[in-house]
Amino acid sequence: MPAGRPGPAAQSARRPPPPLPLLLLCVLGAPRAESGAHTAVISPQDPTLLIGSSLQATCSVHGDPPGTTAEGLYWTLNGRRLAPELSRVLNASTLALALANLNGSRQQSGDNLVCHARDGSILAGSCLYVGLPPEKPFNISCWSKNMKDLTCRWTPGAHGETFLHTNYSLKYKLRWYGQDNTCEEYHTVGPHSCHIPKDLALFTPYEIWVEATNRLGSARSDVLTLDILDVVTTDPPPDVHVSRVGGLEDQLSVRWVSPPALKDFLFQAKYQIRYRVEDSVDWKVVDDVSNQTSCRLAGLKPGTVYFVQVRCNPFGIYGSKKAGIWSEWSHPTAASTPRSERPGPGGGACEPRGGEPSSGPVRRELKQFLGWLKKHAYCSNLSFRLYDQWRAWMQKTHKTRNQHRTRGSCPRADGARREVLPDKL
Amino acid sequence: MSRREGSLEDPQADSSISPLPHLEAKIHQTHSLARLLTKYAEQLLQEYVQHQGDPFGLPGFSPPRLPVAGLSAPAPGHAGLPAAERLQLDAGALSALPPLLDVVRRHQAELNPRALRLLRRLEDAARQARALGAAVEAVLAALGAETRGPRPEPAVAAAAAAAAATDAGVFPAKVLGLRVCGLYREWVSRTEGDLGQLVPGGPA
Repeated sequence: MPAGRPGPAAQSARRPPPPLPLLLLCVLGAPRAESGAHTAVISPQDPTLLIGSSLQATCSVHGDPPGTTAEGLYWTLNGRRLAPELSRVLNASTLALALANLNGSRQQSGDNLVCHARDGSILAGSCLYVGLPPEKPFNISCWSKNMKDLTCRWTPGAHGETFLHTNYSLKYKLRWYGQDNTCEEYHTVGPHSCHIPKDLALFTPYEIWVEATNRLGSARSDVLTLDILDVVTTDPPPDVHVSRVGGLEDQLSVRWVSPPALKDFLFQAKYQIRYRVEDSVDWKVVDDVSNQTSCRLAGLKPGTVYFVQVRCNPFGIYGSKKAGIWSEWSHPTAASTPRSERPGPGGGACEPRGGEPSSGPVRRELKQFLGWLKKHAYCSNLSFRLYDQWRAWMQKTHKTRNQHRTRGSCPRADGARREVLPDKL
Repeated sequence: MSRREGSLEDPQADSSISPLPHLEAKIHQTHSLARLLTKYAEQLLQEYVQHQGDPFGLPGFSPPRLPVAGLSAPAPGHAGLPAAERLQLDAGALSALPPLLDVVRRHQAELNPRALRLLRRLEDAARQARALGAAVEAVLAALGAETRGPRPEPAVAAAAAAAAATDAGVFPAKVLGLRVCGLYREWVSRTEGDLGQLVPGGPA
């Protein structure tokens, strides 16, 4: 009997359909005892084919009385009747079908090719699997949460569309020794991901790859080599508190706790803060928050509610030189700046609490200025605290902020500031 | 059939024993369960046909209603039978369904491995059919009617047949699943109707 011409890998890749209990099923296509009843057999049964290939199939009718004619039989594919010119009667009991340039299967359970009697009743069916072999998966990325596990994600080749069910298997092994292992917990962070929950070694590299298999073939990704310590992430910092800084209407104080799971290892951890106005979607990010657990946001709008989040990068864990992976952002914490009738300046930077040396340019230069004043002027009791008090006083009395905007220079020294301030103190 | 069958009012019953309120509650509860499972069975059928592809979901699709060993659809004369006999047939069908639903789930796990909701519904249906069957048997026992008693385990027959490993094809497997899901819906709905006639205030 004519058969379909599957692609080169189709025959070897074809899997036998699952066995069906004899007692449970009256098989479509098996001869029946009832008089006048017709059944048929379609060949090939459940073929696997490449997109664009051709198929030749037959529907052979068995019936009582014998010699049942093939006249009047017709084909449907996925419920749509096929054009008569695609069929021809091979002999009295056999109707042939020729399909060319097949499209990918409409559903993963297979396209339903059905042979019908003249009255429309179903005589037999066969499921076609038309698709592509998998392409090489790529772009594998992995991360470890607190050095306890490993989660990997990848991109399927050919944008994932093979039209056939394609099975992806993440494999891993220790680079220098050990057997291949297969990841078992799939789809944990998306359709192409897998989670290895335990029994991972530190200080020794792993090799990781992905194998893709379907009815038409298989493909394997490139091997990714990594050390768990180089891909560590952690939990977001807990206990983020945001509060006002006294009466300062343009500042908020942010405090947090190191993620507890790695608190003994976060010597070089980095933190980032982001904040936004309540009814805005634009976040501002404060990047230069090194290994500290507090920060002051400055230059905020008065009388405004801000949402603040913090995240942690466990950089340098166990001496790793890699960039580290940022945690998720903490849950948003909100606080409002004190009200003022005067608009505050825009922009913000992370400033130290309570007079600590600042990494911000305004306060750095102010520190230098104050130091110079102490040495060369009569303002011996100047300090950051006094400066903050002055600012609060300025805001209360609604005086202009020109002095504040000219980078911390005192009005009297305004003209002389650039001449007098040394480069270093 | 006991005197109480078909009627829940027994004024001569010993009030200190008073089994009737318990029986009424049991019937009511089982009827509610059957009503809920009828809805789930309908959802299962719709989910099933979606994943098999056309023509399975098309109106007018009518594959041969081939018999499934150990289970047939409710007979046309079912509604005319005495209440206890109807419930016995319901219980029998509900006990035959779980292994069949398991077979369908295994096939669908091969054919539609990513159809997680369908697979879950099939697994739930097997469990729910067992639960409803047990509840119906409890009602029968409370009514004093005979329960089905021990009989050949359907799962044994299914497992034995599966070992024969007939290579019947994917399309017949899809049709089998449709048939089993259809039978599940028919029997759960039938059970709901039969229990509804026993609920106080229900149709006679």
